[in-house]
Amino acid sequence: MSKDPSHELRQPAEILYAEELDALIQAEKHPVPEGWRMSPRSVLTYLCGGKCGTRDITPKYVGHQRLVEIAISTLVTDRALLLIGEPGTAKSWLSEHLAAAINGDSTLVVQGTAGTTEEQIRYTWNYAMLIARGPSNESLIKSPIYRAMESGRIARFEEITRCASEVQDALISLLSEKRMSVPELATEIPARRGFSVIATANTRDRGVNDMSAALKRRFNLVVLPAPEDLDTEVAIVTRRVSELATNLRLRAEMPGEDAIQKVVTIFRELRAGQTLDGKNKVKTPSGVLSTAEAISLLANSMALAGNFGDGSVGDGDLASGLQGAVIKDDEKDTVVWKDYLANVMKKRGAAWRGLHAACAEQAGE
Amino acid sequence: MSRPSAPHLFGVRHLSPAAAWHLRRLLDRVKPKLVLIEGSDDADELIPHIVSPRSKPPIAFLAYTTDAPVRTFAYPLANYSPEYQALLWCREHRVQARFMDLPASVFLGLMDRDDGAAVVDIEPPPTPEKAREQPTLAQKLSGRDGDAEEVQPDTPPPPGRNSLYERVAELAGEPDYETYWERHFEQLDADGQYEEAARTYGAELRALEDFSTPRAAENLVREAYMRRKIRQAVADGFPPEQIVVVTGAFHAPVLNLEQPAMTDEELARLRRRPAKITLMPYSFFKLSSQSGYGAGNHAPAYFELAWNARHAGRTPQLPTLFLTQATRELRASGTFRSTAEVIEAVRLAETMAAMRHSQPTLRELRDAAVTLLGQGDPAVVREALLRVEIGTAIGSLAQGVSQTSIQEDFHRELDRLKLEPFKTPVKRDLELDLRENRRVKSTEAAFLDLHRSGFLHRLEVLEVPFARKQAVRQDGANWAERWALQWTPEAEIAVVEAVLLGETLELAVAFRLKQRLEACTSIADAARIIRQACECGLPGSMELARQTLQRLASDSSDFPALAAAARELSLVLRFGDLRQIDPEPLKPLLEQLFLEAALALGSASTCDAAAARPVLEGVNDLNRVALDHTGLIDEALWLTELQKLAAADHLNPLLSGHACAVLLERGLISNDELAREVSRRLSPGIPADLGAGWFEGLSQRNRYALLTRLVLWEQLAGYVASLDDDQFKRALVFLRRAFGEFSPAEKHGIAENLGEIWGVHPEQVGEALGVELNETEKEKLAELSDFNFEDL
Repeated sequence: MSKDPSHELRQPAEILYAEELDALIQAEKHPVPEGWRMSPRSVLTYLCGGKCGTRDITPKYVGHQRLVEIAISTLVTDRALLLIGEPGTAKSWLSEHLAAAINGDSTLVVQGTAGTTEEQIRYTWNYAMLIARGPSNESLIKSPIYRAMESGRIARFEEITRCASEVQDALISLLSEKRMSVPELATEIPARRGFSVIATANTRDRGVNDMSAALKRRFNLVVLPAPEDLDTEVAIVTRRVSELATNLRLRAEMPGEDAIQKVVTIFRELRAGQTLDGKNKVKTPSGVLSTAEAISLLANSMALAGNFGDGSVGDGDLASGLQGAVIKDDEKDTVVWKDYLANVMKKRGAAWRGLHAACAEQAGE
Repeated sequence: MSRPSAPHLFGVRHLSPAAAWHLRRLLDRVKPKLVLIEGSDDADELIPHIVSPRSKPPIAFLAYTTDAPVRTFAYPLANYSPEYQALLWCREHRVQARFMDLPASVFLGLMDRDDGAAVVDIEPPPTPEKAREQPTLAQKLSGRDGDAEEVQPDTPPPPGRNSLYERVAELAGEPDYETYWERHFEQLDADGQYEEAARTYGAELRALEDFSTPRAAENLVREAYMRRKIRQAVADGFPPEQIVVVTGAFHAPVLNLEQPAMTDEELARLRRRPAKITLMPYSFFKLSSQSGYGAGNHAPAYFELAWNARHAGRTPQLPTLFLTQATRELRASGTFRSTAEVIEAVRLAETMAAMRHSQPTLRELRDAAVTLLGQGDPAVVREALLRVEIGTAIGSLAQGVSQTSIQEDFHRELDRLKLEPFKTPVKRDLELDLRENRRVKSTEAAFLDLHRSGFLHRLEVLEVPFARKQAVRQDGANWAERWALQWTPEAEIAVVEAVLLGETLELAVAFRLKQRLEACTSIADAARIIRQACECGLPGSMELARQTLQRLASDSSDFPALAAAARELSLVLRFGDLRQIDPEPLKPLLEQLFLEAALALGSASTCDAAAARPVLEGVNDLNRVALDHTGLIDEALWLTELQKLAAADHLNPLLSGHACAVLLERGLISNDELAREVSRRLSPGIPADLGAGWFEGLSQRNRYALLTRLVLWEQLAGYVASLDDDQFKRALVFLRRAFGEFSPAEKHGIAENLGEIWGVHPEQVGEALGVELNETEKEKLAELSDFNFEDL
């Protein structure tokens, strides 16, 4: 295994944006809360973009600066933060960057699944050692949350609602008492200042568990909406696609502004159930059609174009991606898509003709 | 600081609790002999009413021109207005207070540009929020928002993209101007801080102002006049250092004794309009719906809370007070939130504000409420927040203080119509009989109820929530009306506002109807306005409406709308004399409407089942009109059109059947013809839905005419017998629907007919048919009804 992080498929935020973070820390003028690397204001600049001296800080989260302010303030007040939203509204993205900016470490993560146990939230044992030497600090295996408490950092809990409710509730005492008790060692670990938890949860998912009211009350809830308007969403998609393209070394040109605009328009219209001008109702498909999907769709099209096409993203590359994104599983989606093609896209005029033809061909019309 | 020989200048933002508080402290320190306040100086005589203990803010000055075109402005005062608090202070300390701005007549004259048109050229574009709000009467009238920013140009215009105020907020890193103001001015605490900040702010605003616009020119005129008033006060013997001048922060820098004041000549040259100024009760809702302008602010209840907190020395507790109140509202509406959540919300708001080194502003409080109380969902807390931000308070004035010509007219009418006892907060019913009362002597008394009805209808048109029309028990009685009357402060406000439309109720209603006619695009609306004008007893408006309807009708071929309009007009014609309206001018219009509707029938009948219903209603309406006005309208044409429709196979079968029924009723179809038609329509080859649909249309009218025609039932029985199983199932659904509307007696009649045809005893058939369906049969039928035949 190479140590060079540039070979990692995906680098954590604190490495990817190390320069920006360092610049902000260097230029810090405001008071820094205990356990933080920079002031809340600098965290805000890091996330929403701005200037640090002469250096431009790229925005990581576009659109709802207010929500970011609420999120940061929540972490300052030692409350835990719960980010909720539909799939693909940048919950994990925001949580990663918050942790990266505040601690310089976004890797203290518990991934919530149906199989997550309480041990993964608290601690477990190295059983060989436990049997050989009995309970001791050495035989204790600490969970990411344990380590965050010890060191006064921020732990991330992804997809918290996928865990069973009983398991989620293990957090209640941690969050209100701010202590982790280890009865086997007859000791208690107090959380250092700076400890907090950022959890994320999906709103539109089957098989999720409800959060108990007691636990919910210990979180400040921030709902992340889909991007407000077309321009914002186009901007987000453009930025992320170009980042992905560099990262994944896709050998294709960036899709044109025009193509991105079209994809985002289609996504927004199908998501909202009406055309952007509000004049036509359209059917909505079963999928979410999130911004994240639009991003991966365009990256996919670039991969297609780069490896099998002429290196520039054409209507045909977009069309197959679009069909795959809209038609998820059942018959209904096919109807939705064909309806949309015939009733909306076809009537959009010359600029859309190429894409429509490609889509219609793929849809087998 | 003011020099010893100069008056004390206090720059304010209108409707600012901090300004009010600091102003009172300044007055306590300076102990002036005279307080000059920005506001039309002809309102001086209203000051005792404003500060009277019987007046409860919010109240407003209302100035309006007494002739057309009507121009108005409203100038509201809340408890936390610095101007109001200054007036109160003067009363408490027996110090003279004067207004010092241009008189209302000049103001209104300035609003009128030379061409007499509304001042559209300087009207700022409406903000998106504004567009969504219910416009007030004043807005509807003038297309703008109370024109009040004319009075208060030092407060922000609606935030346009590049507006100066927007830029100021942006430079300060604030999302909007209100938040900027609250953080940088409302939270100032120490003596003199506010004055200092306002002075700097005013000077900087002036530096940025573009003085070439008409509005800026207007400001210069006002400032010259205010300087004149200050000099006058000094000339009246008040030492300058004992005068406090309360004015918008924008004007404060130039209101001194050094700069030239307005001369008599200049004053005489100003354009004037005859005008009146009066007080009216105002409401928090109205204040908030005019936010962005000097006439309002966005969160009156919150500002009132802030003012009360300041007064009680509890400003630091404002976030707690606000969020606790919001939580109580939430609980009252059934959403429980704990005290712990309020505590966390206060902490969150304070932390967010601390990032900007301030106390929480409304914006932070709102965000904290959404995050904690709404658990991230704004919809949960929206209503509770509205209650604590905007509130429902309504101001009041002592009886008789508010004096507009229309109020006088209103009270005169109440008196004349003996409705005075109904002006109570308790809801009372009123029954009216519009017919002439022949047992009394005077005509006035004989038509008392008719006049009352006209009066109440007029109020209805003006949207004065005083009387609400109730359904009349006796169906179709055109001479009886029932009203529920209840007096509310909102009704008072609405009456005062109506003065913007006209001097008297009659003029106001006529103007309102005219406006609506000008905006009217549908025949149905125009016809409704004719009826309303008739109900209000306004022949002039009726004539206008008639012209509008005529114009619209000639462009339209919408059959149901034309038929409905014709019917509406026919009612006015027939019962107009009850309301003493001359029906003659309406007759040609009815003729035209009838003709156009009749001609539109054919094309309207090419439609599906859903669209056929309104057309069917239209056929009934128009036939009614034809019967009621035989001499007037072209009946032959109508009958020809009906016959065409009845005979057509390509038009909607329901309508064809219905046309047939109408003709049958008029005796224009013989038994033979009917029998032939029934057999043709109900041939086994014809799809069941067409045949049964036709029969359904036929059976919608005059069922006795059908019952007496045995031949029809023979045909129907034959038809049913000829169907195979599948076809029968389909026909059953449609026929059941057709017969569903028959009464038991009618069904019995059918049974008799069928009995005769089948040769059984009618009562046996009746019994068999009258038996309740059992469960299996019901299920079967339900299945059939749910069955989607369109797939077949």
